[in-house]
Amino acid sequence: MSGCPKNTEWVLYAADELPADRRADLEAHLAACAACRGEWESLRRGLAAMKSLPREPQVRPEAMESLRRRLRVAAAHKAARPTVLAAVRRYGWVAAAAAIVVAAVLWGVRPPADRTPAVRAGDRDVAEEITEIAAAIEFLEGSDLARAAENGFNHSEAPAYDAQEELMRLLERIVTEGA
Amino acid sequence: MTGRPGDPDDLERQLVLFGPRVYGLLVRLVGRPDVAEDLMQETLLRAFRSVDTYRPEGKLRAWIFRIAVNLARDWIRRRPRDAAASLDDGSDGPLPSALAGHLPPEADLVRSERSRRVETALARLADPDREVLLLRYYGDLSFKDIAQATGEPIGTVLARTHRALRKLGDLIPEDEL
Repeated sequence: MSGCPKNTEWVLYAADELPADRRADLEAHLAACAACRGEWESLRRGLAAMKSLPREPQVRPEAMESLRRRLRVAAAHKAARPTVLAAVRRYGWVAAAAAIVVAAVLWGVRPPADRTPAVRAGDRDVAEEITEIAAAIEFLEGSDLARAAENGFNHSEAPAYDAQEELMRLLERIVTEGA
Repeated sequence: MTGRPGDPDDLERQLVLFGPRVYGLLVRLVGRPDVAEDLMQETLLRAFRSVDTYRPEGKLRAWIFRIAVNLARDWIRRRPRDAAASLDDGSDGPLPSALAGHLPPEADLVRSERSRRVETALARLADPDREVLLLRYYGDLSFKDIAQATGEPIGTVLARTHRALRKLGDLIPEDEL
């Protein structure tokens, strides 16, 4: 072997991915070259360190449950699309109307003094309520209603209308115009 | 698990099984358990939603890790300045202590301490070098799969692996392994 092996060859040697003849060359070189022995020792320690890492650190059960729930919702959305989505959207109208009423009530029951810039934090509360309502609608669309739709009801004549998008647009207007 | 997943229920189950391994990769890439949990969920949701684009000739694991790496890179690019500073300043950073509570409860004290030192050393590597090392020795991907997952030539992957292994070896004395 003329000269020391390339760095990448040491990596392949460590991974046991060198051809047998080349591997024998490197081992012969190691026996004769102190600098490469030092190099190889560093790599070997690095390799041992990586192999000592815990393979699967514990994940909080809450995070795994959240993953399962989100996958179920995604599966329901996938199953609902595109044949029954129009039917689900029809119910989205009802949910949208309910959400608007709730938001309007929450907005209206506060005294006028609350609407001054000094208490704008209250607006954020309303916005958070709206976000929660919208999330609930999304969940219903993706799970219960989607399953109901799969079990037989078919409102293919329902207009192609994105109720959720309209809901968010209306709620945003309530918040911005009311502020 | 190399075939194209067909049954959605079965796919859901398979993806959930990937959760801990994907989390383990992500928490070492981003250094924050809370962020790693979010990214783990996002990774597997994206895999579920876009499984139609998965090519069966590749490994499902490599494909999922590619999604995870891309999400981690996006987060690292956008992470708040203070988080970036604490990861890049050459100190222990938040990773080892963050992972300490995530070690298996049955791990004995010596093993936990050794793992903590390895995690500390790992956290001191440059992001791209750590990424390659984790994909190889934690994700068990081939160098070819890593090249695909990171979008880098295989020669670059090998060079990064060499640099990272050597630095890790230099940071950890023999008697700590």
